[in-house]
Amino acid sequence: MVASGPPDTGDVDPDPGATGPQGDLPEAAGRRLASGSFSSGLTVPDFAACLQMGLRPVGLVQGFCVMQWGWYGAGSQYMRGMTPFGFGGDAPRGVYSESYSCPHGGFAYSNEHRIWGQNYQQPWVEAAWAQGFGSAYSRMVEEAGAVGAHGVIGVVDTTRHLADMNVTEFHILGTAVVVEGAAAPPGATPWTTYLAGQRLAKLVEAGYMPMSVVAALASVRVWAYCVTEMLMEGTLSRFGGNYLPVSEVEQLSRAHMAARSLAREHVRSQLGNDTLQGALIVANTQSLAQGDEVIECALRGTRVRRFKDFDPMDAPRPTVRLS
Amino acid sequence: MTEPIDLRAEMRLAADSLGKPAHDPPSRAVTSDLSVDEGLLLHSIGWEAVDVVFGASVVSIPPMVWTWGSGEIAPASDAHNQAVRGAAKTLGEQCSHVRGHGVVGVRVEVDVQRHHVDVELTGTAVRPVRGKDPNRAFVSDLSARDFTLLHNAGWAPIGLAFGASFVYAPRRSMGTTMRQSSQNVELTNFTEAMYAAREAGMEHMQRSALDMGAQGIVAVRVSEGPMWFANHAIGFTAWGTAVRLEAESHQYLRPEVILPLDDAVVEFEAQSLR
Repeated sequence: MVASGPPDTGDVDPDPGATGPQGDLPEAAGRRLASGSFSSGLTVPDFAACLQMGLRPVGLVQGFCVMQWGWYGAGSQYMRGMTPFGFGGDAPRGVYSESYSCPHGGFAYSNEHRIWGQNYQQPWVEAAWAQGFGSAYSRMVEEAGAVGAHGVIGVVDTTRHLADMNVTEFHILGTAVVVEGAAAPPGATPWTTYLAGQRLAKLVEAGYMPMSVVAALASVRVWAYCVTEMLMEGTLSRFGGNYLPVSEVEQLSRAHMAARSLAREHVRSQLGNDTLQGALIVANTQSLAQGDEVIECALRGTRVRRFKDFDPMDAPRPTVRLS
Repeated sequence: MTEPIDLRAEMRLAADSLGKPAHDPPSRAVTSDLSVDEGLLLHSIGWEAVDVVFGASVVSIPPMVWTWGSGEIAPASDAHNQAVRGAAKTLGEQCSHVRGHGVVGVRVEVDVQRHHVDVELTGTAVRPVRGKDPNRAFVSDLSARDFTLLHNAGWAPIGLAFGASFVYAPRRSMGTTMRQSSQNVELTNFTEAMYAAREAGMEHMQRSALDMGAQGIVAVRVSEGPMWFANHAIGFTAWGTAVRLEAESHQYLRPEVILPLDDAVVEFEAQSLR
């Protein structure tokens, strides 16, 4: 599931005129943006570099979205028809799912023996994350459009759990800028980038124009089967009472790879033939119960597009510093 | 001396390009976790990023190997080395799949638990611009900056060399413990155990480099210490990038010596007003 890309804000007036920002921004945001002075989240060096490039800051813009995470247990509306005995066959088309079957004869040993295991992608979790990130992003872009900005630089996004509830807040902010002497972007939709200052200057100098911030989350649930459980918990093999030797825990290795590959594919689906610059990959594993865990991988970066011929810089001169 | 670039004009040109078709787009999307500087450095030697690639492997450690004993804890060392090999192999395969020549800037994450070792590798596949497909992709934890320096010096990374060793910290007999309780004395059993762990780990690493056909290993990093779940067991891990000389001889870079004339920055301290 994906979140990002410039959202459709085609009806936003790029020129707020004397009456202040239009649209459905919160009243406080409208008042702040209409005050006539600019605010910026840039550091002083980044601010200086920004002016040097002909980027005029017009305001600090931000977007928020608070999402509640539902319950995904058996019988939940989010299970989407997957059953323990589906062996992957019930997974919606295009969704990652693979099953593992007990090699020991199943129920013959014990009712607690894990005769079945499954790795499966959780598109409903990914969609909820995409909705949270995408809504916060859209709101930030809407604020930028409302003050007539051409782009948003130095974007920072954070997610955090609020209080002790099953609730996550998505927060995105950046500095809206106008490119002096340039036409408004197509559809008056501002471009966005995580970069600012000298890093942005070097990117443009190298011939790349930032298009938008791009981010995606992939979520893979792991229900361990007996072999995975024995290997991970160090329990005895039920056959002959021997310990299993050093061996790869295939179910988990594949789940880790799936989460990362899915995140990459989600992002790639938003890139067209462009480039994702400065990708940041954050993966974490959360244990829900014994043998039941979730592996999540978030991938974000700036989508950039080449606007002039490939023109590599001269080989840099190595230097040694005397001090 | 090249002319300085008019940044304002470049920015205007870039912004105005948004309404036009893409300029010479690649045949498929490119992803990269390199910084802007690293991307530019790669371009300066005629290389480019292709795709972000991953390798992950979880390998089990049999039960009861951490209980008291002596010498190397071979199953734990084997599990560690197998997990790294597996993850590096997957990383290399992903790189080859996207026609990369190698992976640079690999982030190495290793987590040793009582019953399993988790290894996760993340990096960016790179290749020479318009280069031919390679026979075998290399894996390196060198940054793109270090890769560029190595390349300019005539060397090539071959792969990730890795070695791990876990040993028991030996017990002293009751009599020895009593005798030594009031002495300033070397605990030779501990010294020997640490020696054994370090040497075995380094040997594993060196052997893995030689198996790849490398001449040496650069940027070796080590980590060591007692295991959090078994204080009497000491782990030692060493890894680096195996390299081989590709040019006829080492190319000296002859760096220019510079003397910065900056003054130290004096910052205003608000607390001094209190």
